[in-house]
Amino acid sequence: MAEHQAQQVAPIDRSILVDGFDDLTGGILAWPIWMRLGWNDIRQRYRRSVLGPFWITLSTAIFISFLGLIYSRLFGIDVATYLPYLAIGYIIWIFISSTTTECCSAFHENQNIILQRKLPFSIYIFKNLWRNNIVLAHNIILVVAIYLIFKINPGARVLLALPGFFVLCLNQLWLGIVLAILNTRFRDVVQIVTSIVQITLFATPILWPISRIGNARLIADINPVYHFIQLIRAPLLGELPEALSWIVALSTVTLGILCAIWLLNRTSKRIVYWL
Amino acid sequence: MTKITLTNVSVEIPVFDISSSSVRQMLLKKAVGGRIGSSGSHAIIDALQNVTLELNDGDRVGLIGRNGSGKTTLLRVMSKVYPPTQGEIEITGQISAMFNTTLGMSMDASGLENIRNCGMLWGLTSDQTENSIEEISEFSELGEYLAMPVRTYSAGMKMRLAFAIATALNPEILLLDEVIGVGDPSFFQKAFARIKGLIDTSRILVIASHSQPIIRQICNKAVWLQDGSLIEFGEVDHVLAAYQDKQAAV
Repeated sequence: MAEHQAQQVAPIDRSILVDGFDDLTGGILAWPIWMRLGWNDIRQRYRRSVLGPFWITLSTAIFISFLGLIYSRLFGIDVATYLPYLAIGYIIWIFISSTTTECCSAFHENQNIILQRKLPFSIYIFKNLWRNNIVLAHNIILVVAIYLIFKINPGARVLLALPGFFVLCLNQLWLGIVLAILNTRFRDVVQIVTSIVQITLFATPILWPISRIGNARLIADINPVYHFIQLIRAPLLGELPEALSWIVALSTVTLGILCAIWLLNRTSKRIVYWL
Repeated sequence: MTKITLTNVSVEIPVFDISSSSVRQMLLKKAVGGRIGSSGSHAIIDALQNVTLELNDGDRVGLIGRNGSGKTTLLRVMSKVYPPTQGEIEITGQISAMFNTTLGMSMDASGLENIRNCGMLWGLTSDQTENSIEEISEFSELGEYLAMPVRTYSAGMKMRLAFAIATALNPEILLLDEVIGVGDPSFFQKAFARIKGLIDTSRILVIASHSQPIIRQICNKAVWLQDGSLIEFGEVDHVLAAYQDKQAAV
């Protein structure tokens, strides 16, 4: 043991001092892992079921159809105008609410892996987003069906929905990281998040259109979720989103990612002990 | 060249759901394992205290100690899963670890799917994983069962698959936590042979076990942990003798 004491103190192993930025870049580079695991999650969820992920598509279709028919009467709008608006907004909403709620338990559900091998924490958030991307891809079929049924041709503007969707994913990424960390430490965060998500569905113009409600503009404009949805919904309906939506979305994402990196810096060495 | 160096490593594990002080009192008297302190609203378990250790190429180290002495914690520190609360670690070499008999496998997926998932998680390329499938199938003796979901396997079959995966492709550092117990004796011998074959002069093996015969057979050094502290580290026979003396004295 004497020779051991004569040796110098070993330098710090950089790879375990994962700072937030390294964690994020490591997570991005590990895309083969989270893509495969995300697919695995979907297969597992729908094993031995007849329709697989199309169950969600079916239940969404039923919901949209009935709500579309009833609410278009209530609001006094033409079904052909209301239903596409409702469908697109609601399908985007499913993506937002699922990713937000599921990310809370991202670290818990992957406990087994986390306790055996050191990997960037953001991998589990990416996996969640990928999983919900797959579900969204199944639901997009409904949008195509609606275009065909109502003979809508949104034109080339549709392509603008892609950058809008990318910005939404970035938003869900930072939000997912923050919520996962908080919920791992304080187990009731997911309850609070679930309540807020429910309220947001009704407070945001998804089920109701702005045009029909008097002073709705302000309620919509101060709500970031409205802007994120607009960035995707407007192009899909052949319109252009307002500049305000881009401003709100991009600044939210920028601040959010900085916040997530900061939180990872502060907590990444403790997270595993909170599981 | 592989190397594991721990310098004054301590690990504190918080326990948050101890709200009533009567529960805390009860725990302070408990007989097993690490020390418990308290910090404000939650209890803290000092899982490892000031452990300094250096392992080099060719070390095959057995971890011994009572339940709760810190063996699993130490293994997790070595696999980089547990960042030390204090102290520093330096680890050189590609790590493969098996801390439970399921290795993080997905129960509803087939053996084959799990091999591919695990291979990827453990840093193998997809080519490497595909090439190792046949060898894993043969070593685990699972054959056609690999196409079935893992939840249909017996505990022994799961362990054989997990062990086969964990040892596929000759990891530079292999960490095992009391997992070899579940297999039948013939698999035992195979596992032994596999481990012995893996460990040449450029690798490190660390295995936690309650079985002294296993440690004597596989290891050339041993670490004795008690209540999170390192009591002895040295030649396996020397440490085991000291450990046995202590047990006899109790």
